[in-house]
Formats: sequence, structure tokens, C-alpha cells
Amino acid sequence: MKLQHNLGGLEGLGPVDFEKRVFVEPWETRIFGIHVAMMALSQHLKEAIPKYPIDQVPTNFKSTWTWADLRKGAEAMHPFDYFKYRYYEKWLGGISAFFVSQGYISQEELVAKTSAYLKGKGSIPESRNEPIDNQIIEYLRVGDPGERELAGEPKFSKNDTIRVKNVPPVDHTRLPGHLRGKTGIVDKVYSGFYVYFCSTGPDGLGEPMPVYRVRFDPKEIWGELAEEKSVVYADLYETYLES
Amino acid sequence: MSERFQYPQDREVYSAAKVKALESLLIEKGIITSETVDKVLNYFEKEMGPFNGAKLVAKAWVDPEFKARLLKDTPSAIAEMNFPRGMTGAEGENMEAVENTPTVHNLIVCTLCSCYPWPILGLPPYWYKDPTFRARAIREPRKILQEFGLTFNDDVEIRVWDSSAQIRWFVIPERPAGTEGMSEAQLATLVTPESMMGSAKAKSSPSF
Repeated sequence: MKLQHNLGGLEGLGPVDFEKRVFVEPWETRIFGIHVAMMALSQHLKEAIPKYPIDQVPTNFKSTWTWADLRKGAEAMHPFDYFKYRYYEKWLGGISAFFVSQGYISQEELVAKTSAYLKGKGSIPESRNEPIDNQIIEYLRVGDPGERELAGEPKFSKNDTIRVKNVPPVDHTRLPGHLRGKTGIVDKVYSGFYVYFCSTGPDGLGEPMPVYRVRFDPKEIWGELAEEKSVVYADLYETYLES
Repeated sequence: MSERFQYPQDREVYSAAKVKALESLLIEKGIITSETVDKVLNYFEKEMGPFNGAKLVAKAWVDPEFKARLLKDTPSAIAEMNFPRGMTGAEGENMEAVENTPTVHNLIVCTLCSCYPWPILGLPPYWYKDPTFRARAIREPRKILQEFGLTFNDDVEIRVWDSSAQIRWFVIPERPAGTEGMSEAQLATLVTPESMMGSAKAKSSPSF
């Protein structure tokens, strides 16, 4: 199992750093922009509900890149590195490794150019291409809704008691680990069926399925370590639930 | 956390050079343009940010029927307002509002990553993205809120919402006392991103 899938309830971590800034270093803004561009130019948008003309966007990026890909990179890290490195440091590591592994850039040229910039040599090239940037901004405005056509009936109804399945641990999940095996009550059946960005194999995500808002009694999850007078809600894909 | 690990001396300088190298190579290879990243950043500076959320909450405070609509059907209520095109765009496809009252306080967390309602609040602050917050808030919200400076009586129920699927939760904070007679624009200045995620209350005075 991965620590990254099981953070909920981890103890001994000390106080939260109540840092209110989005970016704590100027360089972090750049990797954020790159990630957004990758999602907006991604091949998977050919199947998105908004009809993005992906084949006509004149970019040399011909891969799929979604939130799932970014998350998988972070979830693949050594658990201690996951705590050691800041949020955008993880993004920089994962995204640069992706571009190298997919063959867009080589490790050698990345290292060489990094060294050059460390010595203060060179500037960013200039290159305009409105259709690329237009697609990126349009993706920001229109998004990538996960809702798909109804593909059957939801298994569960409001107020049903459900138990969270102990699905096989894999490389990526949308099941918060602390909920495994716990009993909750369906608070809402979201209308529609929802896809996920990728199949998670034995974990069960991918194909369109209902999603439920489930209410949990914290005592059910944490026992006597639960606080009084509190409630936990989690949104869970149907594949994670059983009666 | 940073006292626990060893980092190279040039940690930030190195990352800055590496991301510059990456961006430069991606431009050279025709993947993005030299304007791409700035255009994305500009979108979040000018069009999608906490200023949208502040306007939304201010309206909910002065118009109880609007607030009821916002709670019942969040996207439709947001669409009533004159926001830029994109309120159902990236990370806004399924936004949902919950309301703080004298007896209910809501706290939003994403235990798995950092899911955040971009169009209404812009990009998430570091505390929200912090694995320490994500690990602790789901089990000890009251203690976390106390560390953030908020204390609640025993009769207040704390609800923690884990954004683990498609929904992007946000909070309508309580309207502070003593703000009767303020205009919507003035009220909007009291609404912080933290108050719309449940880690703070709205400011009580614009002078803060």
C-alpha cells in the first residue's frame, strides 16, 4: 500500500504550516502553467464532452496528460520524499520525467540547459502560436466534465447503509485509505454517471459509474481518536461501495 | 518540515533553472509558445480567483433567496451572476456550496491531493496542499481549526468534506456581526479564501 493513498489520520506530524500563498517561489508559477497547457493539449480531450478540435491544434504535444497522470507521479514517489519536497517540486520532478520518458526532450539536453541557466547563460526563446494558446485558454473556460450518459441504474439509494470495499491496492486510486472497510450512509446519489481519467485496474475506476456522497460517523473511522460532534463526508465512486 | 530533511544549498536556484530549461525546451520543440505560461497565469490573476468567491458570498449575505438557490443548485446560482465565461470550466465543472451557521461549521479537505474550486477561488494556498493538513484535518478538524485560531463550542457540529471525486466543495462563511448597512462591494472585502474553505471566519472589519 502507499502512504500517499493513506494519509488520513496519520499522527505525529506536528502543526500545519498555515501558509496562505499559492506559490512560495516565483519559479513554481512556471510548472503550474506547463501542467495546465499539457492538460489542455492532451489527446484524451478528443473524447471530452466539449468538442475540442485537438487534431487541429498545431502543437507537437501528442500525448495524454490528465490530473491522473500528475497524481500518479506524486503517488509513485518514495513516501518520505512526498513529505520532503514541496508541492510544486513534486510537479517539476514528475512532469520533466514525463517529457523525457515520452521522448520529447532528452535528459542530456535538460541537464545541459539547466546548467546553462544556472550560470546565467541564455534566455527563453520567443515563439508565438495563437491557436495553441487559444486551445489552452478555452480548456480553462470550458473544462473537462466527467459526467457521461446514464449507463444503467445506481446500485444504491439515499439513506442506504453501505460499506467501503477493501479494493486491491494499486498505483493510483480515488479511495481515501482510511475509509476502507468502514460503514457509512448514502447522503446523496449524484445524478449522472462519471468517468475517471484512466482505468485504475483492480481498484475499479474508469468506466462511467454513479458517484455517491457518503456520510460517516468519525467514531466508525477513528474509534476513540475521533472528535466529538463532527461528521465526515466523502464523495465515492460506486466501485468502492458494497451493501 | 524543512528542518527534518537535508536540502542542497541551491535548492530554489536549481529548480528555477530547471523549470526555465524545461519551459525553454518545450517552446523550442513546438509544444507550447513563449506566451503560454504567462497567459495561463494571467487568467488566474484577472478572471478566476478568490475575488469571484468574495462577490458570490457578499450577494448570498444580502439576498437570502439567492443564498438558498446557491445551496440548492450551485452552478445555476453562480450563472445568475455576471462572472467571466469559465465558471463551469477547469476544476469548476461540479462546484457545490455548503453553509456555515451558528451550529454548523464546514471544513473542506482533499485527503488524496488538492482538489479545489478554481473558478470561484483561484488556485489553492499551500496550507490546503500540505500533506500535514490533509492527514490531520480529516480526523481532528477541531484541533486543526484551533491551531488556525478558531474555537468552537461543544454545540457546534464540524463537518469535514473530502473532495475525493468530481465535486469541488466550498463554504459560504457566516456574515460577521456589525456589518449591517455595508454594501455588497464592502462585504466582499471581508471574504477571504480561507473563510471559503472553512479554515477561517470572514473578516469582521475591512481595516484588517
